[in-house]
Amino acid sequence: MRMNSATRNLRLFLQGTLLSYMALFAWLRPVTYMASKVLMPLAQMFFFVFLGSYASSGKNADWFVIGNAIQIASVSGIFGVTFSIGGDRDAGTLPYLFGTPSNRFVIFFGRAFMHVIDGMIGVVVALTWGVLLMGLDLSRTDLPALGLTILITTFSTCGLGLLMGCLSLLTANVMFVNNFVYFSLLIFSGANIEIATLPAWMQAVSSALPLTRGIASARALAAGVPLGEISSLLFSELGIGLIYGMLGYLLFAWFEHQAKQRGTLETV
Amino acid sequence: MNYFNFFKYWRTVLIVAEMSIRTQLSDGFVLFAIVFQPMIIAILALFMLKDKGGDFAMFVVVGSGLTGLWSSLLFVSGSSISVERWTGTLESLVGVPTPFDVIVFGKNLANVFQSLLSMVFSYALAAWIFGYSLTLSQPVLFFVTLLLSMFAFICFGLTIAPVFVMYRSIQQWQNAMEFPVYILCGFLFPIALLPGWTTPISYLLPPYWAALALHGTSTARMPFQQTAFCWIMMILFSLIDLAIASQLFKFMLYKARVDATLDVE
Repeated sequence: MRMNSATRNLRLFLQGTLLSYMALFAWLRPVTYMASKVLMPLAQMFFFVFLGSYASSGKNADWFVIGNAIQIASVSGIFGVTFSIGGDRDAGTLPYLFGTPSNRFVIFFGRAFMHVIDGMIGVVVALTWGVLLMGLDLSRTDLPALGLTILITTFSTCGLGLLMGCLSLLTANVMFVNNFVYFSLLIFSGANIEIATLPAWMQAVSSALPLTRGIASARALAAGVPLGEISSLLFSELGIGLIYGMLGYLLFAWFEHQAKQRGTLETV
Repeated sequence: MNYFNFFKYWRTVLIVAEMSIRTQLSDGFVLFAIVFQPMIIAILALFMLKDKGGDFAMFVVVGSGLTGLWSSLLFVSGSSISVERWTGTLESLVGVPTPFDVIVFGKNLANVFQSLLSMVFSYALAAWIFGYSLTLSQPVLFFVTLLLSMFAFICFGLTIAPVFVMYRSIQQWQNAMEFPVYILCGFLFPIALLPGWTTPISYLLPPYWAALALHGTSTARMPFQQTAFCWIMMILFSLIDLAIASQLFKFMLYKARVDATLDVE
């Protein structure tokens, strides 16, 4: 029985997304997942919340909890997506992948899908800990709107991750690049510093990055602002994620072309 | 572990340290841990704590430097034995007449020494980029404290590495151990902010005493009696760590030989 193109691509998307995610975590035991994806981000969040509380003499804990909880989306967005794409080279499956006639667009974006879900879970866990341990007040928050904000922010961060993943095909220092971008987001995203207090060039960088508008939206929602008033921020966040994702796809296509032409599929 | 081995084999310790520095400074991950991550944390803290007044910039320089020391100790020293296993050199190192713990001591010395770069870079960042005037309130006491802190960190690292090699279930928590120590040891904010039940845990961590004394001698004009108490605690913990490390190394090497698992993950 012949499948039509849409069904075939949907199956490829789902299989690709599941298999790449399983390949990334299959060698790990749940405890490693807990340590790297749950406890590490939470400890990082608590560190910056305590530092922020110390800086503001305890007045602004909610501001730091929300900023750092949303920032946790980038653990999946940056590290997860990058490793999913770079993992094909490390595992030696890249030549087989490029040898298939499969739709590259579907393969490429499929690598990020599970990490969007994973990242959202990470943010929700962080916010829950924020409520339980740090006294985060979400009583005035439109929770479905906050859920939408988390979804869009995680998606846009995964867009950056897709671009970073392609860069990981070109460099041997993947961990350095990933860590650098991840930690830089702590400065530029506004998770810990009011963007208005940054120098102009840093504000410009901040406005071109994912997370910035997502964090601002989440803080506004927590302050009781309705969804309608932050919709432009969310559209911009979504757009930024799409731009990064598309840039990543173009780089991926260029990499495949170059690698095939030069016979450098598994080298950097 | 024979403590006199460190003096008897001092040339080996220095050669191992030199080799380690040459190898590690070309490793992007190590460079990130000892230079870039502490600088990013310093930038964050300089922006966040700017209203604290006083000597906050010096406080940030020392605190962010300590984060680099700990991250490097955790990830680089913690893996100092495992990395030899990955590169296939562990059997040779265990087989040579030089005691294995002397070799790991040299590696940790290199690691802690190069981690001081984090403090140097944070100082340069605060002084040159942010334009703060930085002075040490008790420079002599600060440098004595720094030396003792280095020794305490090296000894602490000697206990971590064999544990990570023998018990992979503990090494799996490596990623999650980084920030809790930043928090519990008061690197960038006082532990008084934390719930009271965490205070005894802080007291059991050598980096806490190092942070207390380094902050105290750099910015707070800590009374000498308090500084001396921190020194005593660091020396005490160093000796305890050496005694624990001694047993751990013996057990690790015995177990590896009996199980024939020296080069097996």
